[in-house]
Amino acid sequence: MTQTDIPTDVPVATAPAPMAPHKDLKWIGRSVKRVEDPKLLRGLGRYIDDVVLPGMLHAVVLRSPHAHARIVSVDAERARNAPGVVAVLTGPEAAARFAPLPDSGPAPDKHVWRVLAADKVRYVGEGVAVVVAETRYQAEDARTLIDVTYDLLDPIVDPLEAAENTDDLVHEALGTNVAYERTFTFGEVAHDFATADVVVRDRLRWGRQTAHPLDTTAAIGDYDPGTGEMVVHTNSISMTWLAFGAAVALGIPSNKLDLRPYISGGSFGSKQFCWRSTVTAAMMSKITGRPVKYVEDRLDHQLNGDQHGSDRYYDVELALMRDGTFRSLKIDCVDDYGAYIQFGVGSHGNALAQVTGPYRITSTEYRVRAVLTNKTQQGAYRGFGADAGNWALERIVDKAAAELGMDPVDIRRRNLIPPDAFPYHIPSGNMYDSGNYEPVLDHALERFGYAGWREKQALMRAEGRKVGIGIVTANERSVYGATEFWFWFDDKDVPVKTTSTPEGVSLTVDTVGNLTVTLYSTPFWGNSSDTVAAMLVAEEFDVDPADVTVVHHGTKGGLPAAGPGGSRLTVMLAGAVTGAAKKIKDKLLRIAAHDMEVDEADLEWVDGGYQVRGAEDARRSTADLAMLAYLVKTALPAGEESGLAANFVYDHPHLTMPKPDRSDLGSFYPCVGHACHLVAVEVDPETGAVDILDYVAVHDSGTLVNPRSYDGQIVGGTAQGVGTALSEELTYDAGGNPQVGTFWDYLIPTALDVPEVDFGHEQTPSPITAHGIKGGGEAGRLMAPGALSAAIDDALRDHGVRVTELPATPERIVGWLRKEET
Amino acid sequence: MLAGGQSLLPMLNLRLAEPAHLVDLGPIPDLGFVRRERDRLVVGATARQSAVEHSADVRALVPLLAEAVEHVAHPPIRHRGTVVGSIAHASAVAELPCAALALDARLTLLSADGVRTVDAEEFFTGPFSTVARSDEIVAQVEFPVAGPGTGQAWSEFSLRRGNFPVAGAAVSLTVADGRIVDVSIAVCGVADRPVRARAAEQVLRGAVADEETVERAAAATTSGLAPRAHGDLAAHILPVSAAPVPGWAYRASVARAQVRRAVTTALTRAGGTR
Repeated sequence: MTQTDIPTDVPVATAPAPMAPHKDLKWIGRSVKRVEDPKLLRGLGRYIDDVVLPGMLHAVVLRSPHAHARIVSVDAERARNAPGVVAVLTGPEAAARFAPLPDSGPAPDKHVWRVLAADKVRYVGEGVAVVVAETRYQAEDARTLIDVTYDLLDPIVDPLEAAENTDDLVHEALGTNVAYERTFTFGEVAHDFATADVVVRDRLRWGRQTAHPLDTTAAIGDYDPGTGEMVVHTNSISMTWLAFGAAVALGIPSNKLDLRPYISGGSFGSKQFCWRSTVTAAMMSKITGRPVKYVEDRLDHQLNGDQHGSDRYYDVELALMRDGTFRSLKIDCVDDYGAYIQFGVGSHGNALAQVTGPYRITSTEYRVRAVLTNKTQQGAYRGFGADAGNWALERIVDKAAAELGMDPVDIRRRNLIPPDAFPYHIPSGNMYDSGNYEPVLDHALERFGYAGWREKQALMRAEGRKVGIGIVTANERSVYGATEFWFWFDDKDVPVKTTSTPEGVSLTVDTVGNLTVTLYSTPFWGNSSDTVAAMLVAEEFDVDPADVTVVHHGTKGGLPAAGPGGSRLTVMLAGAVTGAAKKIKDKLLRIAAHDMEVDEADLEWVDGGYQVRGAEDARRSTADLAMLAYLVKTALPAGEESGLAANFVYDHPHLTMPKPDRSDLGSFYPCVGHACHLVAVEVDPETGAVDILDYVAVHDSGTLVNPRSYDGQIVGGTAQGVGTALSEELTYDAGGNPQVGTFWDYLIPTALDVPEVDFGHEQTPSPITAHGIKGGGEAGRLMAPGALSAAIDDALRDHGVRVTELPATPERIVGWLRKEET
Repeated sequence: MLAGGQSLLPMLNLRLAEPAHLVDLGPIPDLGFVRRERDRLVVGATARQSAVEHSADVRALVPLLAEAVEHVAHPPIRHRGTVVGSIAHASAVAELPCAALALDARLTLLSADGVRTVDAEEFFTGPFSTVARSDEIVAQVEFPVAGPGTGQAWSEFSLRRGNFPVAGAAVSLTVADGRIVDVSIAVCGVADRPVRARAAEQVLRGAVADEETVERAAAATTSGLAPRAHGDLAAHILPVSAAPVPGWAYRASVARAQVRRAVTTALTRAGGTR
């Protein structure tokens, strides 16, 4: 494993010089049980719905049954007089008292997003009123007593039609249903297409899906009318740095709002921000003066959560040479964002961070049209647009292989970015920090037994069985910089500024040397931030992770923290903990040298303390030195503060600005991992069922921190990818009515449907992060859809079937077979 | 009327049903039996599906019932759900009404006015509707015990393990001297109730069952059935209107495949020729 050099362009943000990996890592890279396990596995975790505050009320939301309608009137009198009801707030009333929700989309004043619909409803499920009562039963009963008069409008459902329609508008103020349209050209696209031997084209459809964590989004608002302070207990995963957005919506000074984080049963993007639940609970607490709990039920979450994923129509073109060498890529994408666009077109910024995948492709054109329709708005779902992007790219690569008569492995191998090309800048400008892709491919082929499987496949096919093998080689960008959200807005009059999405920690060594690390991002949400932080602290101070206490701080008075998202948190915590540890260890060194009357240069850190080089008995442990730091001022060097604590805010490891003309978007997602998934499937041509026979996943996310939990990430992401590929779909009828409500019809694969995944790992360290770690939180879902699509194609190749639409449901597969037969 | 709560509780949970009164059969003594009475296996109103599933008697006497029960939902649900409750609920896609139909089961309806018995074929009148009056409960269901030379099989395809099937087939047939002397086939998922595949039965009855005959029988499965619109089908699956259920043509093709598979298995089990 070698580290590549850092590029020479001047970054906006860089991390402190990466610390060289320790010679003998004690904890990093070791599979350890989660420090959260003792509480979680014994039911002592205290999720948000377990929290009961004295005098707490319960809120439910009345939802629109119509996709598109003007609100004529809301009569809540009967509900207000129902048993147990304390308050009812209608949409128009809420609009008069509370500001719109934070919205990072283009022209937020032209598609105003509120906690409740004020003038018209724009999708089935949009909130129209909130009822607060002593019990949830009473609130739900009273909800049915609210009379809303609607003036029905034509539903806007098909995004391709909506894009052309200027008569029926989701937001009249916008004057169009296209919230954003843009074509980027990176490099000599026209020339590369003109000089290519072959152009392969594909039209692809990525269906709408959503995350379903074990617990839904929830919040408890607790307003103190005496002090004007608002505490919101929440399972949102986005913490300090954007909490002021909720304060603005609530009309509360930001330093009087404290969002307190709770563990959650997963997020997968669905708990990114969660402004609506936070504001719903908090505004009702402000109104009633009592704590108010709002917990989405499963239908609330499905219909009105903030987690619907990308909903895309792709036209893709790949220009290549007859020998299989890729030249240029064109993507034209329509994305159905639903009724609002809270994250702007950030999910396309995300896809652009690795638009050309692991391949050498010298130029790219990317057109996006973000269309608004009468559907639930998109939020974030694991992959955040790069999931669909990876799939579209791998689909066209497979089509190119088929058209050129090449093996899908060979065409990939030919085009992989070679190891000596890193750091590598892709056409859109993002930098890939490091990579060594061929060993990942070879590892996966060997693990899967590719040659053997091809032989087995031939034998099985000879028996008439429809057996196919699919492969993807794809990337996972990690550690986002916020550029993906704002490079779209390049109005010359607005000076461009950016954030580095920093992450802070506080580290304290107490009087007897025990360690406490304070995080300002969320605790356990499926990934184990406590375990990660404890391992990192343990690594620095040579203690057991189980002996490190992890504290979670609310937003008020907190250091900057952006929470998990974009596979960032492990890398960011590593940087922050390393930085804080260095501050403390520097102080320990000064105290040790002073106390032992030796030169600092004569001391070295060994096994949890400083000792004189070559003299094992001349040493001071962390505990010895902590005692001095707290209790023995006279033993400290002159001017040294008492106590032993440090804050450290870690900035993004490598962020560069986009060019003003956007011919280059800069580096904003630089820690780039790689993976190869191989799968064998058997398709039943009568039912369309896809049976997964074998599944191998080899990943390279830089230095591994805790392989055990990382494998969990891969298998969970792969399970979601199986759902994406085969069964999960949020469909709407022509009237904009969601056809899916419960898990009866939204088909998340269960443990019975998900294959055993055989894992392999390669480790190419990042040259720009502490310990060389890269993020890996989205990896499985970024790979599995492509692998399964390819395997289904291969199984049905005699029938000419290609998967061009996901999910490839059994009914669709049977339909494709029929279509090809006739 | 609450037996195991398999169907009613989700409807209450979703506020799709808001009954003024709820009668729980659970505490009523002596309704949870599974026993043999001469040439019949009799299952009481509150006998759990798991009890039937794990009964060696059931497996030996009415193997089709045991096999169909295994496909109902998941083990925790089968620990609560009842065989009779599922049949009385009369879903058009559920396993147990379909198996009852193929087995020529006989239902005992009980009210304050007395007792009457109804054959499965008469019992189902449409989606979630039966001949049972609102003052009647299904007290027990009797299934004929399989005789010598009889092979039975259940085959279904569902979009996810434990879900209602897209379509399923229940087959009971008897082979003597190499010929199918008796056959009964029912399918679910293709009409507003479980239906007997009479045309398929006719192809097989009296035939030496080679592969080609079985294929012809399977093909005849849906011949008498009218295609149904999407919304119409949805109403037969859930008491909600919009669920994105597979279309009828697809269901019908799946049903034909399941009949072929179930007949083939039943023939093997009957020791008949193939």
